[in-house]
Amino acid sequence: MTPDLWVLLALVGLPFLGAAAVPLVYRILGERTAYFAALVALACLGLVGLLYGTEGAQSVDWVPALGIELRFYVDGLALLIATLASGVGVCILTYSGGYMHGEPGQPKYYATLLAFMGSMLGVALAADLITLFLFWELTSLTSFLLIGHYTTESSSQYAARKSMLITVAGGLFMLVGFVLLHAVSADALGSATWALAGEGSMLENAGAMREALESEGLFVVVLALLGIGAAAKSAQVPLHIWLPNAMEAPTPVSAFLHSATMVKAGVYLVGRMRPLFLPADAHPGSLELWTLGFAALGLLTMTVTAILAVAATDIKELLAYSTASHLGLIIAGFGFAGHLGAETGAFHILNHALFKATLFLVAGIVAHEAGTRKISELGGLREDLPITAGIAAIASLGMAGVPPFNGFYSKEFLFHAAWETGAASGGLYYLIPVVAVFGSVFTFLYSIRFLMLFFGEKPDELGHVHSPPVAMLAPPALLAALAAVVGIGGITGTFDVPLGPLEEFVGSVMHAVEPAGAEETSFHYYLPTTVTPWAIMSALTIAFGAALYPQYGRLHDGIRSLLRGPVRANWWYDTATEELNPTSTAVRDRVQNGLLRTYATWVAAAFAVLTFAGYVGASVDVPVPQEPATYLPLALTAVVLVASVTVFGDLSLRVATTVAGVLSVLALGIFAWAIFGLGLTPAELATQPPVVFVLALAAVAGIAVSRAPSHIAGVLTLSILGFMVAIFYILRDAPDLALTQLVVETLVLVIFLLVLDKLPAFYGGWDRGRMARDGVLSLAVGAVVTTTVLVTTAASPNEESVIARGLAEASYPEAGGNNIVNVILVDFRAFDTMGEIAVVSMAALSIVTLIALRERGETR
Amino acid sequence: MTEFVLALVLGLLFALGTFLVLRRDVVRVVWGVSIISQAANVYLVTMGLLDGSVPVLEGHGEGAGAVTDPLVQALVLTAIVIGFGTTAFALVLTYRVYEEHGTIDLLELGGETDGN
Amino acid sequence: MSYGDDTTVIARTVARITLPLVLVVAISLLFQGHNLPGGGFIAGVLTAAAFALVYIVFGMEYVQETIFGDEYEPDGSVAGPAVVDRYRTLFGVGLAVAAGTGLGAMAFGKPFLTHTDEVVKPSTEYVAWIPGADFIFGTLFKFHWATAFLFDIGVYFVVVGGLLAILAVVGGE
Repeated sequence: MTPDLWVLLALVGLPFLGAAAVPLVYRILGERTAYFAALVALACLGLVGLLYGTEGAQSVDWVPALGIELRFYVDGLALLIATLASGVGVCILTYSGGYMHGEPGQPKYYATLLAFMGSMLGVALAADLITLFLFWELTSLTSFLLIGHYTTESSSQYAARKSMLITVAGGLFMLVGFVLLHAVSADALGSATWALAGEGSMLENAGAMREALESEGLFVVVLALLGIGAAAKSAQVPLHIWLPNAMEAPTPVSAFLHSATMVKAGVYLVGRMRPLFLPADAHPGSLELWTLGFAALGLLTMTVTAILAVAATDIKELLAYSTASHLGLIIAGFGFAGHLGAETGAFHILNHALFKATLFLVAGIVAHEAGTRKISELGGLREDLPITAGIAAIASLGMAGVPPFNGFYSKEFLFHAAWETGAASGGLYYLIPVVAVFGSVFTFLYSIRFLMLFFGEKPDELGHVHSPPVAMLAPPALLAALAAVVGIGGITGTFDVPLGPLEEFVGSVMHAVEPAGAEETSFHYYLPTTVTPWAIMSALTIAFGAALYPQYGRLHDGIRSLLRGPVRANWWYDTATEELNPTSTAVRDRVQNGLLRTYATWVAAAFAVLTFAGYVGASVDVPVPQEPATYLPLALTAVVLVASVTVFGDLSLRVATTVAGVLSVLALGIFAWAIFGLGLTPAELATQPPVVFVLALAAVAGIAVSRAPSHIAGVLTLSILGFMVAIFYILRDAPDLALTQLVVETLVLVIFLLVLDKLPAFYGGWDRGRMARDGVLSLAVGAVVTTTVLVTTAASPNEESVIARGLAEASYPEAGGNNIVNVILVDFRAFDTMGEIAVVSMAALSIVTLIALRERGETR
Repeated sequence: MTEFVLALVLGLLFALGTFLVLRRDVVRVVWGVSIISQAANVYLVTMGLLDGSVPVLEGHGEGAGAVTDPLVQALVLTAIVIGFGTTAFALVLTYRVYEEHGTIDLLELGGETDGN
Repeated sequence: MSYGDDTTVIARTVARITLPLVLVVAISLLFQGHNLPGGGFIAGVLTAAAFALVYIVFGMEYVQETIFGDEYEPDGSVAGPAVVDRYRTLFGVGLAVAAGTGLGAMAFGKPFLTHTDEVVKPSTEYVAWIPGADFIFGTLFKFHWATAFLFDIGVYFVVVGGLLAILAVVGGE
């Protein structure tokens, strides 16, 4: 049964609508907005409930021209993530009602939190790569706002910026991967598609996609790009550094972000892409490229961040590192081939969400009621918070992987998969199960350390700790109860009375992350009843952990003493950002110094360099005329130019006359040579000189403008240039242009004279060095323009495809006009003209505003 | 042929325009922009692909096959009028800058006062 | 601008004679634009140039009091010469006319700014008995109209209004 499109759209749209309504609702309800938001989340949970039992894709066109759709796909994995996002969302929002009491910026908080949840639902359900990317980046954006909730605190700003920088940068890598997938899909499916799942999608044709990726040599590239995106989002080593800082957010946000949203997006992506990259015949123990990449990444993260968690001094920091560690576990699970890997990943997503959300909420209660989050200052809390202690026990034993609590079963699957992989390949690959155990020992250690906050001696400085309000206690209790149910399901499962619906659901998730055509296995979990290598691994983990726990303090100090300088990933991040800031400031001061000439220099230089590089890169031939006749106009131009420079120059009258006389003789000589020496007829000469002469005069006028000693002289010579251009238009058969140019030139002269009347006689000089530099730059621009004109005028495209030809032929039959230029302006391209007269109006309005209305605004 | 001269003259005009834009005197900058836009217009007209007579037909649209490129002319026609509007705007802006700041020296306006 | 006081008699006389000529030429350029060189842009700048001539020779005051019949207050009004408001209205109307022709096409179910043209000849059926009716009604009264011309009129108004507003504002300083 395919899902209903309207349910999907309502599910994704509702949180955003709710977010939009929050500011209004806040005016009416005040702090109780939390419960409104929780209701919205509950409605979403209900809508997710409606989707149970359905599977398949629905889509609406979004950008049809690019084949982009708003496509949503429902299967086990999507349902799992959507259930977590909305279900945990209900708990978080309810809890916020108690936690956020009296905090600043609540409307923003609830609106962003709802939008955050909506984005996560979008990520879970999206089945079009662009839609997925959109929601993916929306989670980055909303989490940026949430992490930086306390906008005035510099640590919040730092944390928010860091998470944004890392996750968005990762997202961009992912986008490149998506675009490559899109391109490859053209080979695999016949036509390029953005559809990830559903009919005619990439996942449906995973085999063909794999072949195409391999034949294009893009398999590893795409895998790496998607891997970077997922690693950045899911805080995998070495991109995990943003996650511990994210605890700057209010605790409910941390709980949400760490358990059900944001970080789960990366894990989700890995799960979603798993069937695309794993061959269908992959079985537990087989060593695919996918396994090498993701199992290694996951195990590394799991171990490193578990060690870091032991070094943590703050309870939220401990939990943050543990999140990264468990995400590593899930990624490693998805990394292992076959059903064991799928079981690990699918089941641990659920288990982790349950115990981690609980633990964060517990940490929130502790911080809120005890007033500190320092591990060393806390202890013996069970006396004051007995219920919370019970909740914490269930959750942290689950996190430790102690049977029969929920985390144990998924960790058992991991050990099983790791063992199979190690045993299948033998040799060094036995390191895989060893590393898995090694990392898990640390997981056990910090989990127990967290639990011990509630036991042992209560430090004297810690006064009486108040009981939390019900709104803060109920959500973690509910989540812990669910975690306990999962644990009990394992016990009953051992006696062949499994928790049917749960197993079926996790089975469907598992099915979603298995390649099509993989061996069908149903999901069961239970306590080990026989001695197996993986059961021994679990036992070893707990035994080592228990043995090492008394040394926790020394371990803690030892690891901390090692974390110095370049060993820390944070060192690299901080050094890089600290170095970049002054650099960018320095660059800005050079580029943006408020001087027009600086900007103009950059633009002109960039134009010259880029265009020239383009010509060199494309190895364009510059057509230089060969026949001697072409040099005649050239020679004439040169003569006129030199004459003009002399006349307008600073030479004395006598010298100028002499030079002019010599040049005239030279010009006559050239003419004589052309006629008698080359045999050109005067008629042939006559076709060229007018245009050449006019252009030469225009050039002279241009030179004169540049050398003008006063404003008036410059404007007058500028007019000469304008009139020469008008004559050029006449010679080029453009009567309309010539008419317009003549009249406009007159008007320009009038305006110039009117304004110059008011301006001072400032002519600003520069020293010779700057003049020389500007001169070189100008000559470079001129040279590039000359080249461009030569290259472009020499090109001769197919006459048949010339647009103007069609316009000329259609002019009378279609528009009933003989003046083609006018017909183009008012009929064929009337919309353009419309825009152009709007520009004229705007220029006029701006001038009216600048002058006539100036008194109405502020003046200096 | 003529194109060669045209290329040289356009190059020269662009070079002069650039040179003027880099001056300290705002009025000269306006001239520079004006020269560059004139040169660009000439270049556009030159880029017309068809050769022939004036793009005005006779009678009932006879001779449509033998006209010079009308499209570039239509482009440039509007460019000329808009060029007037923007030149006027630039000038008025200059005038207002002078009124507000008492100078048309870009160096002074940019905050540098030592002339270097 | 008070050039009115120091222009010579020659200038005034020449201006009086040329002004009507320029305006007539401008209007004819506007009307023939569809078939001969001309059109809204050219006619617009020419009309503006004619007004510029009047400003230079007779002064802003003369234009405002004689042509528009407004009171002229060179420095009293903060919003510049009152005539500017008229020009602003003019290019506003021009934009409206141009856009209106586009919207008109939409009323007939065509895309925005679709134009049409038609040759209209009076029927000679009932006047056939008049000698030379074919020539009189078929050729002299033949009228070829195009909606694109309305658009061109809009362009004309915008150009005239815009350029004159600029001239008047700058000249008013």
